[in-house]
Amino acid sequence: MFMRARKVISKNKLRYLSLFAGFFLFVAPFALLTRLVYFLLGNVAEPDLHTICLRMPIDWIFGGKFYMIFGSVMAGFVILVLILSLFVGPLFCGWLCPVGAVSEGISRLIPIPNRFRIFVKDTKVTMGLRYGFLAGFVAISMLVGYKIIASTDISTICCRYCTSSVLQNIAIGVFGNITAVEYWHTGAILSLTAWLIIGGIFMVGGRGWCLFFCPLGALSGLIHKAGAKLGFYRMRFDSTKCKDCKTCKTVCPTWAINDNHSIETSLCINCKECSNLCPSGAFVFNRGKENAKLVS
Amino acid sequence: MNRLVAVVTAFVTMFLITVGAGVYSASYGKAELVHFWVAFPAGNVTAPMVLRGAGPPISLSPIKIDLDQRGFLKNWLNPAIEGFSTHWIYNLGKKPVRVQMELVNCTIPVRWEVSANLAYDPETHTFAEPLMPGQSIKNLGIDWFFDIPAYYLDEEVIYNGGLKIIDADTGETLTFIPIKIGRGQAALTGGADCCS
Repeated sequence: MFMRARKVISKNKLRYLSLFAGFFLFVAPFALLTRLVYFLLGNVAEPDLHTICLRMPIDWIFGGKFYMIFGSVMAGFVILVLILSLFVGPLFCGWLCPVGAVSEGISRLIPIPNRFRIFVKDTKVTMGLRYGFLAGFVAISMLVGYKIIASTDISTICCRYCTSSVLQNIAIGVFGNITAVEYWHTGAILSLTAWLIIGGIFMVGGRGWCLFFCPLGALSGLIHKAGAKLGFYRMRFDSTKCKDCKTCKTVCPTWAINDNHSIETSLCINCKECSNLCPSGAFVFNRGKENAKLVS
Repeated sequence: MNRLVAVVTAFVTMFLITVGAGVYSASYGKAELVHFWVAFPAGNVTAPMVLRGAGPPISLSPIKIDLDQRGFLKNWLNPAIEGFSTHWIYNLGKKPVRVQMELVNCTIPVRWEVSANLAYDPETHTFAEPLMPGQSIKNLGIDWFFDIPAYYLDEEVIYNGGLKIIDADTGETLTFIPIKIGRGQAALTGGADCCS
């Protein structure tokens, strides 16, 4: 149940190139895409990974602070990701997100056999965990946003458990000012542990954080499922071609493939690892009404 | 049936973990990288207050950081650096102001990290362009990091100063927010993070 990184990467060159590019597009000191957006907007602030915060706009929306999304680059980005998820699935998660890319990359590069890693076989249980987190995130946003509970008693979990912040500080430390990694608050230490060590190294696929602690990923998954039911793009399994080698289950980073090889769309990030590595070509990425009927 | 129980259990467990994480972050957030709001002209902020003027009402209060309230991981792994942060500086007065900032009574080294959609001079801690009445500095992120020497860590009062907001053109102090870092009896303020 362990597939060597070299084989996985060689069969998915384009995706890994894209994930690599995602780091340079969004993470300072490079942040090439957000730098371009700021330049076009005439904004002289220094862009970094926070410029596309994957959490705060969701917190604003559920916390009743709609006014904050207007004119906000990060809100525009999150809304764009969610809209695209309807038509083509969470491609940002699977192809560009630097947070997911780093944890998945570490998972691929550290040679621990999958039998020593955490894996939930049942996709419904994985969904239970994922959407339990999203429900908690939304509940806190509402409790704090509508001032039902004082923010000194319960705090939104955007900034205190922010992997983007942790990744950004490490990147600045590596590529620029080493003092960026000097300050660690409790939430940052917990996030680093959950993201890279537990979610990255000790979970199959290295996407533990994305699966269980990313509200944008969870929302994108739901929207993707709705889009798939409407006939938009999704990954589809063709049982007539399947030779039951279980390669797909081994390589799927988000545990989206059931025992019968059908795909749980709300977990799938359309990374195409299954279709690129399936020896019999049983997975295809397409759209259409017939396709929509197959969404469970 | 067993599957349904497993799914519901997974959902409830994760929901409770998430809410628990929110409660925990509120507790240590009162003493780790406290985020606070800045507005002027408020004068000397000796007690919690709401400043009203040309813009939204802004809550201000003295900042007192009790290091005993920090989370165990911070105390254990990274005790010698503490910080605080703001994303909001509002001009609630009637005239444009070129904002200068000053941390007073610095007895321990402090590192400033400033990013904003407004040209900034790191030498004088001054923004080059005036901030108009009712406006805030866009895309602002300021972190102040205090490097606390080991021999200070157990002191009751480690830093006792404050943040001055000054009109760079006239030198007038518009707002002074007292800041105290210490242990024990220090009252707690802040605790909200930048999303709350």
